Amino acid sequence: MVVAALFALPFILNRLGKIGEYWIWVSTEIIISALFASSLNLILGFGGMVSFGHAAFFGVGAYTVALLMKKGGIPLIPALMAAPMMAAIMAAVIGWFCVRLIGLYFAILTLAFGQLLYMIVFQWYNFTGGDDGIHGIPKPALLTPVNYYLFCLVIFLVCFLLMWMIVNSSFGLTIRTIRENMDRAKFIGINVKRFQWFNFIIAGAFAGLAGGLFTELNRFAQTDFLHWSKSAEPILASLVGGMYSLVGPALGTAVLMFLNIFLQQIHQDLIEIWAMILGFILLLVVLFAPDGLVGLYGRIRERIDSFGAI
Amino acid sequence: MTPQFYLFLLVNGLAQGMLLFIIASGLTLVFGVLRIINFAHGSLYMIGAFLAFSLSTVLEEGSLISFMLLLLLVPAALMIVGLALETTLFRRIYDQEHLLQLLLTYALVLILDDTVRVIWGGDIRNVPRPTAFSGSVDLLGLSFPMYNVFILGVGPLIALGLWGLLYRSRAGNLIRAAASYPEMLGALGVNVRMVMTWTFLMGCGLAGVGGVLMAALANIDLGIGMEKIIECFAVVVIGGLGSVWGALLGSLIIGVGISFIQLPLSRLAVVFPYIAMALVLIWRPWGLFGRPER
Repeated sequence: MVVAALFALPFILNRLGKIGEYWIWVSTEIIISALFASSLNLILGFGGMVSFGHAAFFGVGAYTVALLMKKGGIPLIPALMAAPMMAAIMAAVIGWFCVRLIGLYFAILTLAFGQLLYMIVFQWYNFTGGDDGIHGIPKPALLTPVNYYLFCLVIFLVCFLLMWMIVNSSFGLTIRTIRENMDRAKFIGINVKRFQWFNFIIAGAFAGLAGGLFTELNRFAQTDFLHWSKSAEPILASLVGGMYSLVGPALGTAVLMFLNIFLQQIHQDLIEIWAMILGFILLLVVLFAPDGLVGLYGRIRERIDSFGAI
Repeated sequence: MTPQFYLFLLVNGLAQGMLLFIIASGLTLVFGVLRIINFAHGSLYMIGAFLAFSLSTVLEEGSLISFMLLLLLVPAALMIVGLALETTLFRRIYDQEHLLQLLLTYALVLILDDTVRVIWGGDIRNVPRPTAFSGSVDLLGLSFPMYNVFILGVGPLIALGLWGLLYRSRAGNLIRAAASYPEMLGALGVNVRMVMTWTFLMGCGLAGVGGVLMAALANIDLGIGMEKIIECFAVVVIGGLGSVWGALLGSLIIGVGISFIQLPLSRLAVVFPYIAMALVLIWRPWGLFGRPER
């Protein structure tokens, strides 16, 4: 039912004129960001490893699409297919180092590698345009905002299904076993590092696809895509939504995005301190509801059910 | 490229390394006892630097006394901030899993960095050096900036002070015991919570000292917190998390390494900490002075 509503949404919005156009853009962005957040959550929620450098793969995907389309003159679809591949290659290289480490060291190293890539993109002026970014990415004639929304929605749903299959496959169960008890996983003969590495690569590939999709929406690739603060977005979304569930990150993305727009409507100054607000939200979630909105919903349901039983 | 020139690079690199050590030692000390890697350490250092700037506009410019006053007041102010953070937030998560601890300090980065932006804005600032340190010293036919030589002197003093505190005082015994066997220490009737709080305050103080020294060395802006925390991570990863000596060695490696690479390959210099970190992680994942962590 939710899916049907999502498909119908642009046609309703399309009738609203200028405001509708804006909302179509916003919903497309939410869908793409939800894909980005879900990709991170494969590592964060299911793998139990905090990565502070996930934006690197988003950025690699974004720049792959931008460069291929702008400089290579390649159509959108092949460029979009190259994005997750490039991101996966990058994730394979970075992940190879990172998964050798657990817990804190892993988080540190992902942050360091993320910033390293950011600096490379920032300084490699001839290739990436430095902080000017890459403007004017071509737009295929067929791609009206509504079509692009539907395109992204279909891709998101396919990816979501893929992730659902991954999480519930023996691979996904192994990853969760490692999260719960790494030592025990080792004892029963699981090659922990290899599973984590594969998981890291898969997550990187999905993030790359999200980056590619976003570049086409934005028609502009910029260094901000790789910045550490971009890595914070999917972490926040996953936590707010609930990192132990598959829909959590997507839900969290939507909630945060609507909150942002809502605050913007109330007062312009509130957006100035958006990072601070996010920080406080994260603080509250960590302290009081580590399983996010999905967990909260579950607890409320439980409460109601037990109330009914009495 | 004369030998003197290499000496020049070496001295400047050592000065940079010493400054890095002052900040990184706080991070590693806090990790050793609290078992929390404080992402917000860089933000605290940044607050220290900006606080030094604000205070320096009030105090008499160029006098040595006002600079010394900065070195006293700013760390004290940061320790108050630290006390507030430790008692209200950190204390609640000591028993939680690593993931949540990391995310909590990360939330603090978001909050503190934005607070600095709201209060001080995005302009580039600096603190005037006291006239006593503003000239240069001639040594072996080369002239070194006096201030760098000063930092070169302060670094070892702090290292020595830390060593004395950790290995030659009762407080140090307690800190080291709390790092190794907190339960045992508690069973012996020591208030481990108190030891943890004091260690955290010490870390904040060191971040403050680093902030003041940095604000007078170079320009400061909103990016310095993130920049420094990553350098600090490189340092503690190279040296081994929780080891003060590792932090000293790591800082000097990074400082001198950047200084030497800067001239032939200025672009590579930014990348150097990461390469050094990656190499150490492949060879000894727990750092040069650390123990394998579980």
